[in-house]
Amino acid sequence: MKLVSATSMLLIALALATPAGAANQYETIDYYIQQMIAHSSADDVTGVQTFREQLENLRRPETEDSARARPLRQQGSEQLARNNFKEALAAFRQAFIADPADPETAGQLSLAYLRLHRLKEAERLAVYALSLAPTQSATWLTLGEVYGQTGDATRAGGAFANAYRFAKDPVPIAEQLQRLTIANNAAAIQTGAQKALQLGQPVNFKSSPLSSAPTPPPTTASPSGTDPPPPSPVTSARTETLGQRIYRQSIPLTCLIITFRNGKTDNLGSGLLVSSDGLIITNNHVIDKADNLAVRCGERESTASVRKRSKEPDLALLATSLNSKERFVLNEAYSQDLIGRDVFVIGNPYGLEGTFSTGVISGLREIDGVRYIQISAPVSPGNSGGPVILSDGSVIGIAAMGLKMGQNLNFAIASAEVIASSLFDPARMKSQPLGGNH
Amino acid sequence: MTKSVSCSFLTPRILFPIHPMQVVACFLAALLLAASIFPPVTIAQTSEQSRYYVQQMLELAATNNDHGVTTVQQILEQNPKPRPTNPTGARAAFQIGLTALGQNQLETALGAFQQASQADPSNVEAVNYLGLVQRKLNRFQEAESALQQALALEPTRSVAWFQLAQVYGLQSDARRAVGALANTYRYAQNPMRAEEILRNIAENETSDTLRNAAIETLRLFHLPVETTLIPPLSPNPGIAPIDTLSGSTRPLSNGQTP
Repeated sequence: MKLVSATSMLLIALALATPAGAANQYETIDYYIQQMIAHSSADDVTGVQTFREQLENLRRPETEDSARARPLRQQGSEQLARNNFKEALAAFRQAFIADPADPETAGQLSLAYLRLHRLKEAERLAVYALSLAPTQSATWLTLGEVYGQTGDATRAGGAFANAYRFAKDPVPIAEQLQRLTIANNAAAIQTGAQKALQLGQPVNFKSSPLSSAPTPPPTTASPSGTDPPPPSPVTSARTETLGQRIYRQSIPLTCLIITFRNGKTDNLGSGLLVSSDGLIITNNHVIDKADNLAVRCGERESTASVRKRSKEPDLALLATSLNSKERFVLNEAYSQDLIGRDVFVIGNPYGLEGTFSTGVISGLREIDGVRYIQISAPVSPGNSGGPVILSDGSVIGIAAMGLKMGQNLNFAIASAEVIASSLFDPARMKSQPLGGNH
Repeated sequence: MTKSVSCSFLTPRILFPIHPMQVVACFLAALLLAASIFPPVTIAQTSEQSRYYVQQMLELAATNNDHGVTTVQQILEQNPKPRPTNPTGARAAFQIGLTALGQNQLETALGAFQQASQADPSNVEAVNYLGLVQRKLNRFQEAESALQQALALEPTRSVAWFQLAQVYGLQSDARRAVGALANTYRYAQNPMRAEEILRNIAENETSDTLRNAAIETLRLFHLPVETTLIPPLSPNPGIAPIDTLSGSTRPLSNGQTP
């Protein structure tokens, strides 16, 4: 099928362009872990969850000789408890070689390296362990200590905050963080731990007895354990996150647009369903040279025809046969209040269908009389025409372009501009003000 | 101004910036093209050629020439594979070999794996196990030959590269041991595990050649390693081990040999 083959070819080309060597595998997981740390350090829970999900979607190594690994791990733990770090390292290493798919073994091996001040090895093993289990609190603690010992208080804080955020039982982790803020620890560890105690509290855990509040509020878990414990971060993570909800609701309404020219596939882009009778908005530059058009929104496919188009603003309206109960609602807002709000972008960069990314609104720009929303969410060729979504699910802009120089300087045509254009049909499309419901 | 070179026999109209790696890639691509245009006349020739290519992979891997290794790997993968003469007999012999190996009956295992690999020379498992048993029996030349045959059939077989590294390590062939360990890491399904295995060898292996090869391989891939390189030293009775306190060497008994 043409749709599939065009996408597949792009994916193949992409795979060929990026050799999947041993080093690359580590770089990929390290990138995601560093993103989790950076978002954690900025107290961006959504960002942390997004990259956690990316890690959880990676292919896992298969469990190998776990029967052989188990006693070796036990032996390692005993040696570690006796401060026999070299012996612990030897045992954990053998356990890891026997079964490298066990995140706890990898995490313990990392800890043994840390205790021996072999920080590079400790970091690599901790990153690897977290790629297997991104919510493993103990390993985040180890990684935080590693960064603290290298003097990197920012990353230490981000990693410690994740340890706290993902703790099944936050109380002992908070106690451990408290201990790290004092005593003989490196200054960066102390600073990082202090920051984590402020940042890392899970969303539903504002009233922890070990939070920075001097006296515990009466609703917290008592030492006797008679009161119900506060909701653990793991429990809250099991419920749908905002990013997950936006993705689930938006993906069936986000379209891959394929253009054909002289009988061949010519271009790929994105679009969004805006009416119940199958009208799709995209960028004019996506479709301007096409002889024929095909679209896929979620699982459904259709041919498409150009209903309206304009060069400035760079917009096009396509008619398809994709009737749908659900449709995107355009948000009319275009004011300074938008700056700093979280945005979510879905599109098909380089044919990678349904790629989901996050960022914030960085600014409002008017270029050649057209109103743009500047966003920090990653956008690449193929995202053009796709929706930029606010946390209420409404569309605030249509991804249109990015600056090649600099980083994450991307622009979406403001939905306000779409609503003001001749493309907008109030009888068939829906708009709302900022904070409105749809 | 950027200098350009054209790999004209492959891409007559495309110019791209010159880079030493690209010159190597062009050369190897020409080899690849030649190998596909002129298929070897006999299997015997193919076998010799394959071993030559495995050696090339070792050489290129020892210098971390990623493009070179990949190109030669592709040449090997394009080579015609031998056909089984008796696949049923090969399977039966292979099972006997596995059982014998499990019971550490190496001679029996050797005979069975030899039989299996003769009946089905395309069975990479059988050929690989043959190499393993020969190494265990210290028959290094035969082990090398069998492992090279296994790698000619499946050049990304990490475990065969690892066994080949052991063969070279035990023969004090440092450079080829590095090449084989580098390919072990390159083709490892789980690179982190391979890295840890390399560190284990680098810290605990008694064979100087293999230990140093592991250290060099870790350095080749810029992976952390703590142990310093210890060259195999010829006996020098006049010098005692390094004084750990002062960090200097000191002569024994006022410079006199014991």
